[in-house]
Amino acid sequence: MANARMLRIDLALPRPVYEQIVSGLRALLVAGEFVPGEQLPTVRQLATDLGVHHNTVAESYRLLAGEGWLDLRRRRGAVVLDREKPRPITAEKHGFRQRLEELIAKAITDGVPRAALAAHMAALAKKLGKPSKRRGR
Amino acid sequence: MIAHPQMIFGSLMLAVAAFVAWVFWSLPNGSRPGLFFSVTVVPSFRDSAEAARIGSCFRMQVLLLVVIGFGLVLAGAMLDWAALLILGVLWLVAGPLVAVSLAHAKALPHAVAHSTVREASLAPRRSQLPGGWIVQLSPFALLLVTAAYVAAHWKQIPDRFPVHWGVNGVPNGWSTRTTMGVYGPLYFGAGLVAMISLLAYAVTHAARRLPASGAGDGERDHPQRMALVLLAVELFVAAMLSLVALLPLMGSPGVTPIVITAVGIVIGVIFLSRWQSHGISNSAASVHPGDGTPDSCWKLGLFYFNPDDPALLVEKRVGIGYTINFARGAAWVILVLTVVLPLGLAALAIRNRP
Repeated sequence: MANARMLRIDLALPRPVYEQIVSGLRALLVAGEFVPGEQLPTVRQLATDLGVHHNTVAESYRLLAGEGWLDLRRRRGAVVLDREKPRPITAEKHGFRQRLEELIAKAITDGVPRAALAAHMAALAKKLGKPSKRRGR
Repeated sequence: MIAHPQMIFGSLMLAVAAFVAWVFWSLPNGSRPGLFFSVTVVPSFRDSAEAARIGSCFRMQVLLLVVIGFGLVLAGAMLDWAALLILGVLWLVAGPLVAVSLAHAKALPHAVAHSTVREASLAPRRSQLPGGWIVQLSPFALLLVTAAYVAAHWKQIPDRFPVHWGVNGVPNGWSTRTTMGVYGPLYFGAGLVAMISLLAYAVTHAARRLPASGAGDGERDHPQRMALVLLAVELFVAAMLSLVALLPLMGSPGVTPIVITAVGIVIGVIFLSRWQSHGISNSAASVHPGDGTPDSCWKLGLFYFNPDDPALLVEKRVGIGYTINFARGAAWVILVLTVVLPLGLAALAIRNRP
């Protein structure tokens, strides 16, 4: 399972690094790769390992803490919170739907077959929607 | 049959020179497949004719440099000419590094763009030093026990005793029964061990953990293994300097220092071989060329200077272990504390030798 808990960013992408970190971590958190109470690497450790500025990682952690995924405490670093029931924020839902539509439209424009896209999305939704393996232990 | 002291010294120097030659001889194949003499290359480049040409030229240079260095050390010892001996040792260390820089320059035209992908393990970092504090304190304990033994036998120490012998086995350096004269080596040993401990702490707390890229890489923890090596070095230093501190009671060191050095070299060879083969097999699975650092930040292929990298210590591109990021202020503090200060103190001690 060691490789499953990897965070990957690409400095060549136009997307800001802090967003890539947030997305990568969020995907792992949603997939239940972390048990509530588990500690993430400190800002300094993760920044060192990724070779990016400390403030970049700190900003990502702050955003995830704002979403209710992490508890940021002095000396203890970032601790994963139990977030089984996400807060229903309508504005965020609308924003997400719009971003998803734009992403799908771009994929279709780039030549990804609609059937393959639908199958891929269904598989992803199934993977991310199922109860956490770690929590279930 | 009792070996002549000159023969013993010569054999020891030959073993050290052979060890240095072996370490540098195996360098070209000791790095990640995507790196060749500190240059980011496609993994297949290592099998090319050009790589073979650069590698064999480097090995020839290393052999020549080591033979010259060995000759200088031996000549310096035979003639009892300290300057020549120090030049020989410096030559043995710096010569092969110059050869690395030359090979680096030859490999640079074959460089490819380094990967912009960065990966980090989110597994908890094992920042505790191997064995915990009790094991980490064992080199200090060894020095302390020696100090207690020397104190208990203080009256048996002669007023004047030899501390240095020439290649012919005749004493040529003396010390007196004073606190500094007797406990000096132990103070120096404690200082050295403390510096190496500081380095081990920095490695486990401030070094970049390499991205886990292949199966089994999750188990790879270079900082921990490096800290283990540094602990072994601390024990070696503590053992050698304890022996030096016991010399006034022993009379002559005999062959003990040679035995300790030989054991150290054998363990070093075994360890380096295992580390290299392990590192290569793990990193072979990596899909990203290089190590994620730009080639332009590796000055002469040896020194890492990257102001945009927050890492204080990064894995070396040539050889095994870590190197400091010279762009970080703390790196210079480490350099002064672990290299400049001990060397300066050693030079001062040699200069003020009675």
